[in-house]
Amino acid sequence: MTEHGEGGSFFRSHKFTDWATVKEALIARSIDAVFILAPMAMQLRADGVPVKVVYLGHRDGTAIIVGTESGIDDFGDLRGKTVAIPSRFANQNILMHRMMKKWGMPPDSIELRELPPPEHPSALRAGGIDGYIVGEPFAAQAEVDGYGRVLYHTKDIWEDFISCVLVVREELIDEDREIVQELVDGIAKSGKWLDQDMDHRMNAAEVAAEHYYLQDPELLKFVLSKPVDRVKYTNLGPLKDDFDEIMELAHEIGVLSRRVGFEEYVDDSFVRPLEEIDWDMERLPEERPGGAR
Amino acid sequence: MKLKIAFSAALWLVLITTAHVWLNVGFKNLGHELRVMLGEEREVLKVGFLPVT
Repeated sequence: MTEHGEGGSFFRSHKFTDWATVKEALIARSIDAVFILAPMAMQLRADGVPVKVVYLGHRDGTAIIVGTESGIDDFGDLRGKTVAIPSRFANQNILMHRMMKKWGMPPDSIELRELPPPEHPSALRAGGIDGYIVGEPFAAQAEVDGYGRVLYHTKDIWEDFISCVLVVREELIDEDREIVQELVDGIAKSGKWLDQDMDHRMNAAEVAAEHYYLQDPELLKFVLSKPVDRVKYTNLGPLKDDFDEIMELAHEIGVLSRRVGFEEYVDDSFVRPLEEIDWDMERLPEERPGGAR
Repeated sequence: MKLKIAFSAALWLVLITTAHVWLNVGFKNLGHELRVMLGEEREVLKVGFLPVT
């Protein structure tokens, strides 16, 4: 995430540890923008919260992880097992149901258990679950520590998988379109820069680990390189076909209380072709609000 | 008498405004907003995230 726009505004990141608090902060307007689960954004809109999806956080970057010695070799082997999901409103939940449908399995053939993402690896290690599906870097954690392995990367089972989306309150769009445009452009530029060069990814891993994620930089470097398309930061415009599929599946399994039209919860007017935007590292401002570095 | 009423109303306005800034807005935020309006400081937007990709 960028901390500043070339237009001069500052974007101060605010770290949350669970989805429920994120949702409340957005409703209370203590934050104006947030990276949130795609189906949760749809349900917020269905509940009458004035928010719009304006961009994606990334594509792919999720994996189904099982124990190294579990003997689970394909999706069918998960029948009767317990798999952790980050939230019922997560697209990871939708993916599990999509896969069960594809494999001809009834929706209750796998026990899906909601767990906060940071607890997934330890639950697998303790034997409390048989597998988990979550966004990085928690998917890679078990792999790096040696007690888990990837059953599927999402890129192999749902191409261009969407997990987190950038949501802003509609008042912000109405009152200050320029700052939303600056934010979207900043994310687009950062993504373009990340996907341009492996060195960029390694630099980003160092910075994100120290200043934002507070995690082992080696873990983030692993996530951003093994394989390189494990998580992608380009092609982040919200596309109707992608969202319609998620919305229909979410409604079908009861995650959404009603169908929500694409135009109702998405504003894609901030998306610009990547060719039109360039990342100029020399223009990064030195100062930060409140003296933060 | 009129002067007394006007003074009381002005005092009430000052007190209620101060209380509102203190309780609901915050003096720091108000100062920042004013400096943004005057072009002395940059606008800040808080963006939430979870440490997952």
